[in-house]
Amino acid sequence: MSTVSMSVDLGGIEMRNPLNTASGTYGNGWQFEGFYDVGATLGAMTCKGVAAEPWDGNPAPRLAELPGSAIMNSVGLQNPGVRAFVDGHGAYLQGVRDRGCQVICQVVGHSIGEYVRAMELFEELAPFASGFEVNISCPNIARGGAAMGATCDGAAEVMRAVRPLTSRPVVVKMAPHDVAEIGRALEAEGADALSLINTIPGMAIDVRTRRSRLARATAGVSGPAVHAIAVRMVWECAQAVSIPICGIGGVATGADAAEMLLAGATAVAVGTANLYDPACAPRIASELGQWAQDQGVSDINELIGAFEC
Amino acid sequence: MRMSTRTSLHEFVVVSNELVAQETYRMVIDAPQLAARIVPGQFMNLSVPGDNSHVLRIPLSFKRADALAGTVELIYAVVGEGTRRLSQMRVGDGSSAVGPSGAGWWLPRSEGRALLVAGGVGLPPILAAAGMLADARVGFDVVVGARTQARLVYPDVDDVMRYGTPAAAGTGSAESYDPDRALVVTTDDGSAEGSPAAARSAADGMADLMGGRAYAQVYTCGPAAMMCGVARLARARGIACQASLERMMGCGFGACSCCNVALVRGGNALCCQDGPVFDAEEVVW
Repeated sequence: MSTVSMSVDLGGIEMRNPLNTASGTYGNGWQFEGFYDVGATLGAMTCKGVAAEPWDGNPAPRLAELPGSAIMNSVGLQNPGVRAFVDGHGAYLQGVRDRGCQVICQVVGHSIGEYVRAMELFEELAPFASGFEVNISCPNIARGGAAMGATCDGAAEVMRAVRPLTSRPVVVKMAPHDVAEIGRALEAEGADALSLINTIPGMAIDVRTRRSRLARATAGVSGPAVHAIAVRMVWECAQAVSIPICGIGGVATGADAAEMLLAGATAVAVGTANLYDPACAPRIASELGQWAQDQGVSDINELIGAFEC
Repeated sequence: MRMSTRTSLHEFVVVSNELVAQETYRMVIDAPQLAARIVPGQFMNLSVPGDNSHVLRIPLSFKRADALAGTVELIYAVVGEGTRRLSQMRVGDGSSAVGPSGAGWWLPRSEGRALLVAGGVGLPPILAAAGMLADARVGFDVVVGARTQARLVYPDVDDVMRYGTPAAAGTGSAESYDPDRALVVTTDDGSAEGSPAAARSAADGMADLMGGRAYAQVYTCGPAAMMCGVARLARARGIACQASLERMMGCGFGACSCCNVALVRGGNALCCQDGPVFDAEEVVW
């Protein structure tokens, strides 16, 4: 058992340990209760992205597996809308929070107006939310998502619109490009924290049929194969901003999580590994604690950004 | 509304893993908790050790779970890298299974016989449905289709005639409750029927049986095009139809929303969580 203090502060979201989950790979938490006690294990969990009104998501197929420890998906943020989300999962999520795990609700939209409406509904209906993650980086929707977060101006515009709507912490989920510049723009507009990276847009073509292996031409690549890219982007972003970062990208072991911290992340979210190794989160948390102890620190915060180059 | 049982992680050991038809294997795994909880039509998600380049698990339906022995019997075809590696697992090898996953078959909601239609490796969940019907003393007939005779898993296909009889282990019955059970085997190339001219589809076999008997419920699992035809035939006769669907799956327990099934009423269900068994009337074919 690690004697190191593991608690971290992700922009006002007080986490008992640095472990979070990546939205879209974690259902709404209850799917993992058969594998471990979610509320007693994680520092935070991030729910699936939810819009003001229901979204159908993209047609099938939404998934392809790639050789080299990667998958690609184009789910397209299928969600039931804030009201049905709160009705269906609010009681469970309040219980998770009561057991000490922070609950981060993810806000999505096709337009500034939709982000605003979703945030207003969340603010009104979701007292169980410890904070919000605004997703301006989904690569799998035609409008909004990555299109909103592709430029400093676009990202800042979303942040400016939602920031006044809540006093709870707002994290922004960033796309895997220009993370230093866009991170600075988001910080200037009052973001409390940043999470990166979202999936990396890619293509998988069936050469026999000349069609995409998924229903859409492009989809988001994730999994252990993208880890090194994600660590580099966290490092670049961490040097550009002073707000905390949640590092996401191919984290499957305690060492992967440790790399994120050393590169400058305050928290670490497990994503694709939740799909194929659903019991991985408690193991990663324990490995991270062991690593901190082996490093001889008394507080995990001493290791954040401790990469030496 | 059907509620799936809680999905969890199970270590398993391979009891047997044998070639039983062309590119088709039977594997028995020792996994007592899984065997005790999984119900016909549900599935599990297996990991195969030894290749870290393919990370996703392999979703597989099962033929029979023996709670007393603590074993689950699977029949699978080698269709890609994952199932090829699965076929190389040896007796005593261990790995893990995530399950039980999804919602399985339900018993007919009205009185009458059931008609089971399997295509290819849609056979195991259909045999699981046959076991469920035999346990409930519901009469049924079976159609089994395959591409060729070499791909038919014969002992298992023939054995379905004995489900619910004293000859079948574990059913506890004194005598057959269903003496007139029919079994129809079809192949795409006619090899099981004896000549290419006799080639028939599973839907043809189904149409023949429906000409002579009335059914309350159809159960089907197989290639999507076959199930679409089966669902259409059932609908034309006003017979309820359950279909076990297949999708590429990420997690297999409702976390990633990758395995969507478009619904007639609009929106999408998830194959792994809301299915894999669906009312054929509710899905867009």
